[in-house]
Amino acid sequence: MSGFTLSAVFVLTLLKLLLENIPQSMHRAGDSLLELNSTDGVANGVTTVVVYFRGFDTLGEIAVLFIASLGIGLMLSQNKRCTIKAQSNFMLHTAAKLLFPIITLYGIYVMVYGHLSPGGGFQGGVIIASGVLLLLVSHRDFEVPHSFIVALETFAGVCYVLIGLIGLFTLDVFLGNFLPHDISQMGLLMSGGIIPIIYIIVGIKVGSEMSMIAQNLIKRGDDV
Amino acid sequence: MSSILFVALPLLFGFVTPVLAKLGKDGVAYASTLMQAFLLYLAFSLLSGDSSHIEVISIAPPLGISFTLNSASLLFVALFTFMMTLFSLYYLSHRKTDAYKNETKFFILINMLLAASIGLVLSSDIFNIYVFFEIAGISAYILSAYEKTPSALEAGLKYLITGALASVFLIFAIVLIYMNLGSLNLGVIAQGFESLAFNTKLLISLLLLIGFGFKVEIFPLNFWVVDVYQGSSTLINSLFSAIVVKAYLFVFFHIAYLFLPSAEFSVFLIYLGGLSMLVAEIAGLRQTNLKRLFAYSSLGQVALIFTAFALQNRDAIQAALFIVLAHSIAKAIIFFALTSIQKEHKSMDIETLKELNSPFLRAIMLIAILSLLGIPLFAGFVGKLLVLKSLAVSGFIGVLVIIIIASLLESVYYFKLAGFMFAKGEKREALEIDFTQKLVFSLLAFLLLTIGTMPFIFSGFLSESASVMLDSSTYILNLMGGR
Amino acid sequence: MFEYLNDSTTIKYIVTIGSMALFFVGLFGLLSQKHFIKIFISIATMETALFLFFIGNMFNKNFTAPIISEGFTDIAKMNDPIPHALILTAIVIGMAVLALGVSMSIEYYKLTGNTDIDKMNEMRH
Repeated sequence: MSGFTLSAVFVLTLLKLLLENIPQSMHRAGDSLLELNSTDGVANGVTTVVVYFRGFDTLGEIAVLFIASLGIGLMLSQNKRCTIKAQSNFMLHTAAKLLFPIITLYGIYVMVYGHLSPGGGFQGGVIIASGVLLLLVSHRDFEVPHSFIVALETFAGVCYVLIGLIGLFTLDVFLGNFLPHDISQMGLLMSGGIIPIIYIIVGIKVGSEMSMIAQNLIKRGDDV
Repeated sequence: MSSILFVALPLLFGFVTPVLAKLGKDGVAYASTLMQAFLLYLAFSLLSGDSSHIEVISIAPPLGISFTLNSASLLFVALFTFMMTLFSLYYLSHRKTDAYKNETKFFILINMLLAASIGLVLSSDIFNIYVFFEIAGISAYILSAYEKTPSALEAGLKYLITGALASVFLIFAIVLIYMNLGSLNLGVIAQGFESLAFNTKLLISLLLLIGFGFKVEIFPLNFWVVDVYQGSSTLINSLFSAIVVKAYLFVFFHIAYLFLPSAEFSVFLIYLGGLSMLVAEIAGLRQTNLKRLFAYSSLGQVALIFTAFALQNRDAIQAALFIVLAHSIAKAIIFFALTSIQKEHKSMDIETLKELNSPFLRAIMLIAILSLLGIPLFAGFVGKLLVLKSLAVSGFIGVLVIIIIASLLESVYYFKLAGFMFAKGEKREALEIDFTQKLVFSLLAFLLLTIGTMPFIFSGFLSESASVMLDSSTYILNLMGGR
Repeated sequence: MFEYLNDSTTIKYIVTIGSMALFFVGLFGLLSQKHFIKIFISIATMETALFLFFIGNMFNKNFTAPIISEGFTDIAKMNDPIPHALILTAIVIGMAVLALGVSMSIEYYKLTGNTDIDKMNEMRH
């Protein structure tokens, strides 16, 4: 019981502390970034922040996903295909085959228009991966082509770092925006310089890696 | 010469390696070693000139992320690239007989670990530090569980769970910082931190202490360290001791000096460090497994470095930097030597040392052990003496006594080790050490002797690094002024 | 009758209490559960609680989303984009680490048949 009262006291103190210090509306860095965005970014403020102003964090996040996918492939490197106990029937097969192109198209739309409306590379990549997951679950012998995915992944990752390095050599700023990004173009598909390009690269990488992770987790050996 | 190359090049190499693997495994190994040697050359060329600068990424600070290269961070960058290059050289000869499976993945992981450790040390933005924290963490978890034996997987799982818990607390701290101070730049946070309410300051400091405390291996948050060291492969332990924990130590104290410059926390942390060292050395006394024994020794030395940094004056920080150098080099020697021994003898029990038949290895390990003990003429002596002097001068006599007791306990099991190494008795056949490995060992041992006998070569640079670490106002000014 | 619920301070109170309750549920689960997957679920709960706490408190209901489009061009009345960016990154990183943890525990279970964290004693002490 004493453990319970001690933790209750601790929780209540923490709550009181947090409730007293509810932050007032102050001028934060995000507001300054929004002002910078209206002269230097794209229509979607969050995309500018994620891809350009904090693009290095996004590069790090891509690296984490890459390493995680590598690690999962390393841990679960069995070659036996898991048989899913339920028989997959004709309706599931057909519906999945019908839905997959639509899901992929939607994912690509979210990816490519990520700088104009809510969405972006991560969201689009995960949508595409969910389509692949649907196919993996409904078709017994579907396999994501391994070398194609590895090539896509490598191409996307290398492009991201190379874009950063090109910015370093031309503008003296790593991940600087070296393509023309005229403010008059804001709201159009071709705007923002490297921002839509990087987000598409991120989307390709995330989609391919999540598909690999899904395949490794489903393509397990025994009846675990 | 941009400091971003230290992070971008290993990242690029890591991304490109799955395709580079088509060239063959040897190609990847040599390319990786060559790239690390190039980074080492870059680091040393920066050391010779005056190269403090702020490297802007995307947009100028304080709105954007930046890397700050000054004497303190350059010291650590040089140390990490040096240790990693020697590790690769040692591995190049080790892999002729005992290569890891799926070697291309191994090279990707160690390069990501290097990029993340360097990024941790250079970054000036707290969320960027969190991202590098995670990259280093996830590479370390996989490296720990690399061999996929049950004990390796157990080590990997324990490491992962404690690491994930640490990052939850770190995110909580970052969330509170942004809500109250409105910025993620270390300079802006440092300027505003004083003016926060006392409760909020205390909560954020506690969360940061717990978040980093798991990785900095202080008591009571270091319960995971020894099992992880025992379960991982011996060669990986050298990376953990020499590179990873030093990066976390630097980041933690860098942030501590910036946010709370007025030494309010010092007393608590000094006692915590002393206590950690004592507990680690007591627990190390009854170990019979070599890897666990040296893991406890690492815990003790890291606690000593922690105490020295916590004293927060220039001489103490200089002492801490001396111990950082000495400990990294000595532990690298120990774990490389243990890897060579394990190749032949297979068992890591302390009795194995009795059967060791390699005068070269015995001499090298003796040099490393004498340095860890703090015997005069070896590198560890300089640092330890300076720490004890700083403790006495600052009046922490209690902690001084605790550390002396802990060092005496440490010497008990080191002498036991040395006794086993030089015991008379039946030896196995002679252990062959490759020429490359002999070169690596000799270089490291030579460095230990150089630092020990001629510390004045290094003390100027280390003293400057110490002042730079303490000099928060210049750091903040540089960040606010932009480029 | 429920107008007080529209008040932004009340909303922040509710968000803080609710997300901290979730956080402590996760923390309790982490400290008391023994099965690997339950520990991972607890860590995921704690992370989600923190994201809810962050977004809930930084949300101003009179402001609009930080997207410039037809008719929404007033920057001063837009919400802060940084919490969105931070949480995007943190979600992906958290998911990656937990996925790795799940795969490690699958492999460990396959090799030893053990899922209890207290019974992991491959290393003799």
